[in-house]
Parts: sequence; structure tokens; C-alpha cells
Amino acid sequence: MNSLAQRFSTTSPLAHFRKIQRLADEDEDVSDAAWGSQAGFGSLTKGVPTFTVPNLPDPTAFLRLHTDDHADPNCRIKIQHGTTTLAFRFQGGVIVAVDSRATAGSYVASGTVKKVIEINPYLLGTMAGGAADCQYWETYLGIHCRLHELRNRERISVSAASKYLSNLVYGYKGMGLSMGTMICGWDKTGPTIFYVDSDGTRLKGDLFSVGSGSTFAYGVLDQGYRWDLTDEEAQELGRRSIYAAGHRDAFSGNTCNLYHVKEDGWRFIGNFDISKMHYEGPGDVPGAPGGGYGYALRVEGKSSANPPVAEAAA
Amino acid sequence: MARRYDSRTTIFSPEGRLYQIEYAMEAISHAGTVLGVLAKDGVVLAAEKKVTGKLLDLSSTKEGGYGGSGEKIYLLNDNVIGGVAGLTADANSLVNYARTAAQRHLLTYNEDIPVELLAQRLCNLKQGYTQFGGLRPFGVSLLYAGYDPHYQFQLYHSDPSGNYSGWKATCIGANNGTAQSLLKQEYKDDIEVKDAIGLVLRTMSKTMDSTTLGSEKLEFAVLTLDETTKRPKAKIYKPSEIDALLASEGLMKKDEDTEMKAA
Amino acid sequence: MSIMELNGGSVIAMVGKDCVAIASDLRLGNQALGLSSNFQRIFPVTDRIYVGLPGLGTDVHTLWEKFRFRVNMYTIKEEREIEPETFAHLVSSTLYEHRFGPYFIEPVIAGLAKTPSGGVKPFIAATDLIGCLNFAKDFVVAGTASSKLFGMAEGLWEPDLEPEDLFETISQALMNAVDRDAYSGWGCVVHVITKDKIVTRTLKGRMD
Repeated sequence: MNSLAQRFSTTSPLAHFRKIQRLADEDEDVSDAAWGSQAGFGSLTKGVPTFTVPNLPDPTAFLRLHTDDHADPNCRIKIQHGTTTLAFRFQGGVIVAVDSRATAGSYVASGTVKKVIEINPYLLGTMAGGAADCQYWETYLGIHCRLHELRNRERISVSAASKYLSNLVYGYKGMGLSMGTMICGWDKTGPTIFYVDSDGTRLKGDLFSVGSGSTFAYGVLDQGYRWDLTDEEAQELGRRSIYAAGHRDAFSGNTCNLYHVKEDGWRFIGNFDISKMHYEGPGDVPGAPGGGYGYALRVEGKSSANPPVAEAAA
Repeated sequence: MARRYDSRTTIFSPEGRLYQIEYAMEAISHAGTVLGVLAKDGVVLAAEKKVTGKLLDLSSTKEGGYGGSGEKIYLLNDNVIGGVAGLTADANSLVNYARTAAQRHLLTYNEDIPVELLAQRLCNLKQGYTQFGGLRPFGVSLLYAGYDPHYQFQLYHSDPSGNYSGWKATCIGANNGTAQSLLKQEYKDDIEVKDAIGLVLRTMSKTMDSTTLGSEKLEFAVLTLDETTKRPKAKIYKPSEIDALLASEGLMKKDEDTEMKAA
Repeated sequence: MSIMELNGGSVIAMVGKDCVAIASDLRLGNQALGLSSNFQRIFPVTDRIYVGLPGLGTDVHTLWEKFRFRVNMYTIKEEREIEPETFAHLVSSTLYEHRFGPYFIEPVIAGLAKTPSGGVKPFIAATDLIGCLNFAKDFVVAGTASSKLFGMAEGLWEPDLEPEDLFETISQALMNAVDRDAYSGWGCVVHVITKDKIVTRTLKGRMD
């Protein structure tokens, strides 16, 4: 009886949530029928998608109980977590590099995940946290970036796009969205990166890494980073950083997807097997030093425990 | 007079003696001889068996196992062979204690127990029985032939009082005085195992009461270093190997032989 | 955070024709962080018995040293080497001694038992962390990748494999299982035990 009363109350959490949706709906007022096929984004016709919400007095608390990692590892809805993603700005544009592993607990659910979301030819988003959340909202962001272009006859700035996303996820704060993303692109101001996460944080910066393997990536990235890196050097640095994370972090690995954003939009550089990089290196690509990245291979013949061949013979 | 002070191990006599300890030592001096010689490249141990006879079942010692007939010479650890003289029952208990102590050292330090430390462990136990009331001391003396990387090959002796000492060559049990003076005459500082084997066997043959010298009367063991692994190699001889060794040293004494010589 | 999954690692053993194989990965980690790619968790007990100890890293060594103690005492007193089945019971009773504060290890045992006729009989067994014995006729698995290893072994194993085929089977089962486990991998080691020799091979695995 109490819950029934709450559902229609204007002060209950549910009512609060409905109010957010109503506010977001205000600037769009086109009828559903005008859109024909809705392809899963049917709810977008009102500007902000609507979702079914647990029919409870406090859906936020309910979701937190069942999806939050820290509450109870046993009964939570498992969402993809382990990841390494990075992006950095330099003289020649933006480098975006990510791994491709998806894990559910300790199970490696996939080794071929696309963690770079191609929002449009000038914008890339990275995926860390909930795979579905990132995929859905960044695709959705793509729709709105295109609408912005149509309405304003110019491409959306990276700043505006990222702000749209951060405002959007902020509206769902506390409901269990999980995303840590970098919105990367080239606009009137040049190469730009914004870090946006599901807490509502939005940061502008030169260099970011997100995910469980980010500390390992930062280690390589920080020591190799300069503004005046050449394109080849920058690509190699991104690749090498993802390798380091993929190697050390149990929840990152399999392959590295590498993108380079320049003035004329992004370009996919390649897909590199992390284990192959360990033993043989990334192959014949610009910037590759030749030989494997693996520690044992790099120090071969250079340490007292493993002396050079000539020395060992002597 | 002594009667008042010898029934307990923990009570000194007015002359300052612990009679029970002395009685234990006395018992040992009637036991089968155990003789050890420390060489440059190993340690040699020999023992005289007292329990013999046609009906004694030695089948278990002839096949499998690490050799020996299990009366006087025991493998205490990979790096230590022990020779015991005295009460066999007490010896069994001490051998078990020594083996456990050696394994406990391996567990704690992941290395073979140093020979002196093993001797100390047993002596601590033995000493306890000279001081804490109500118990009799162990009626056992031991020789420890061992190797450790710090002091290389070593030979130790311990007695029921808990005293121990290191030796170049020594003897416990019956006739140990005779044997020791023989060893003193013949021992040379840089003796090698192959010569030490001869020395040990010759001394044994001279000190043993019995007219015969063969595997039924003798136990024999050598501790050397394995050339390839650089690890100690304990070899306790099987009866057949002892007979072969005695034959090669020309020391085989059979009843027939003595009869023939007399004839 | 599960203590059984803190350091990661997995072991598998399989029976072949007059031979057995035991294999493990080489990773030692601290949760997600990989620390070592050369952590041996399989140990030789005798010339014909190996034991694999997946679980908490510190207990791997502690328990192995405890087993070594007890096997040495057995050998020196019995004046013969321990048989695989006897060793399995030694493992079981050692673990059950700690029923209410266990070692976080699930041992896997593989060996060749002597038959009265002078031949050999393959033996494998595994126990849980408090010593419940499982004598299997085909294969046993343990560790963080155990569920994946079950799947691989169930699919690949067949009876009466010759040593070389058994090596291939156990290697494929292990390598592919650990590639699906975040806490196992970083290379593998395989031992194949036959009547007259033991072949040990270290395999290069995925390093991520």
C-alpha cells in the first residue's frame, strides 16, 4: 500500500527519476510515428531514451544492490570490467590504443572485443567498465553529434560532444551505469581528449589511461611521452604501453587496437597480438624497434645472469 | 656407600659422580665395537655385530633397502651415517630422534643438517636424562660420520652423559682402548678413503674377539662425495659386498681358514 | 577476494598407456598483477611420482616441504620408496590435520605404481584443500582454471594414449584452458612419466 502510494508521489525516488526524463524530453517533441523503424533506438525519438525501471519504491537502491561490484560479488549482474585503454595528444594528433579482452570474473569471455567506438569519422570513444553502457551511450552520442552537425552546419567540438555525454550519464548517477571513457577527436581547436566517466567526471588533458591495466600503461606512457613525438614514435608508444598492460594485468590482453586521429579524421593503424608482441614484436610496422617486447628477450645477453655470448664463451 | 647415590641419575655422589651415567658407559664398553676413521675424501665406519646365528632372519636386509643389517649402522640423513653401541632398544629411539631432527632442519632451512648440529641435538636430549628426575639415561654411544659444506667430512662421538667430541679416528664399545691405540699408531693426517677402509678393517680384525671375520659379524659403511652431483653419498654395505671387500683386503677369516693354518 | 584465487595457477594430470602426465602453468600473480612467469608448482616426490600444488603461493612451498619431510621419514624407515597410492593417503591425512584452518592448496598426484609382476600401473589422484581423495581413471584438474580444464580434458582425452600422444593431449588441454583463465597462464611445464624415463618440457604460452 505504501509502495503504491509512493509510485504516484511526487517526492519518491522514482518520481525524481521520471522528472529527470521529463526535463530532458522538453526540447524534442516529434511523434513516434514520424520515425518509422526505430532499430532499438526508438526511445530516442523523445531526445533521451526511456528505460524500464524496476517497479519498486526505490529502483536506485535496488539496482545498486544487484549490480554494484562492492556490495556483493555473488549476486551482482556481471558486467565487463578488466580493460586497458589509453589516449594521448601530441604534435601529430591523437593516439588511441586499447586492448581487446573481456572478462567475467576470472573467465576470459572474449579476446576480440572492439573497445574503440567509432562515433563518427572525427570522433573516437574508448570503452572501459560496462561494455553495454559504453557501446550504447557512445553510439547514442554519435546520433546526437550527427544531429548537431545537421542543425548547426558544422561538426560538433570534442568539448561539446564529451559534455553532452557527461551530462547524460550524470542524469543516471547512482543507477549503476559503469563507464570510463575517453572522447578523442580533432576539431577547430586541434587534437583534443576528454575523459568522461559514469560518476560525471569530465576532464580535459593530454594523456589518459583508463582501466585495470592503466597503471602499467601509464608507466610506459609517462617515460616515453613528449609533445614532439613523430607519428611513428607515438604509434609505437601507444602499442608498447598496451603491451605492458596486457602482459602484466590479468584482465587485459589478447590484442591491441591502435588508432591515430589527425586533422582529416581518424585512421585505424592495426590490430596487434599482445603475445606475438612479447615474443616477436609487432611485426614490420613504422616505429617498431625490431624484436620482441618481452623482458627476457630485451635483456638477453645484457645482464650478469644472462651474459653476452662472447663473454659467456670467455 | 655407592648404593645411596646410584639409584637416581640426578643425584651426585659425595665424590661428585653420577653413577647411573658411569654404569651406562660401562654397559657400552661391553657392546659391539664401532669404529670410525675420518679421511681426506670421506669417512669410514665399521661395527661388530653381536646378535648372530644361523636362525636369524636377515632376508629383509639382503634385497632392497639401503644396505646394512640394521643392528649397528643406520642412515640418519642423506649426509650422516650413525654407528651405535649400547642398548639396541635405546639406540632405535635415538636413531628415530636423529632422523626427525635432521628432517626438521631440512624443513626449516631447506638444507642438510650440519653434522655437529645433529650431534648437538642428540646430546641435548641425552643430557636431559642426566638431570631431570625419574628416568634412566640412554645406554647408547654413537659415532656420527657426516658431511656438510662448511666443515666437509666430520666424525663425532657422543656418550650417555651428553658429551660429544670430534675425532680423526675413534672407537666405541668393547676393546675400544686397544683399537684406539692401534688407530693412533697407524693414522696419518692425509689418509684417503681407500686406505682408511683398509685401516678400519685391519683394526677391526685385530680388536674383535671372534675368530671369524665376515658379513655375519660385521657392518660397514662409507660416506663420500658424489663427483657429479657434489652431494654426499652414503653407502652402507650389503652382506655380500662386505664379504667381497674383506676378500679383496685379504682379511677374510673363516673357521676353515684357521683350521687350515693350524694344520 | 578468494584466497584460492589470490596467486592463481592450475594443474592437470592425465593417465595414458603405461604412462602418466602432469602439467601446470607457470604464473604467480597478486590478484590481477602478474609477478612471475617461472613459478614451479609441480615437484618430484620419487623417481616415479610427481605432485602438483595449485593454490596459495606461500602454501605451495610450505606444504611441499611438509610432504618432503614425511616422505623422507617414510623412505628412511621403510628402506624403500613410497608408492603413489600411499603418498596420496599421506597427502590426504596431512591436509585433514588442518581441517579447521586448512592450507589453501588442492593437490594433484601423478605416478606409476609397481605391480607384483614387475610392471607399472598409472595412478592419478586429486584432493580438495582438506584432503578428500578423488581417484580418477582418466584425468584430474585443480586450480583457478579447473572448470576450463574439465571442459578441455573432457573433450580431448581418450584411453590408452602413448606417451607422445598423451603429451600432446595434456599440453593442448592445459594451454587452451589457461588462455580462457585470467589467473593462469604465462607459460606451462609438462612432465610425462614412463617406466624408464621422465620427459619434462617447458612450453611457451601466451604472455597476457
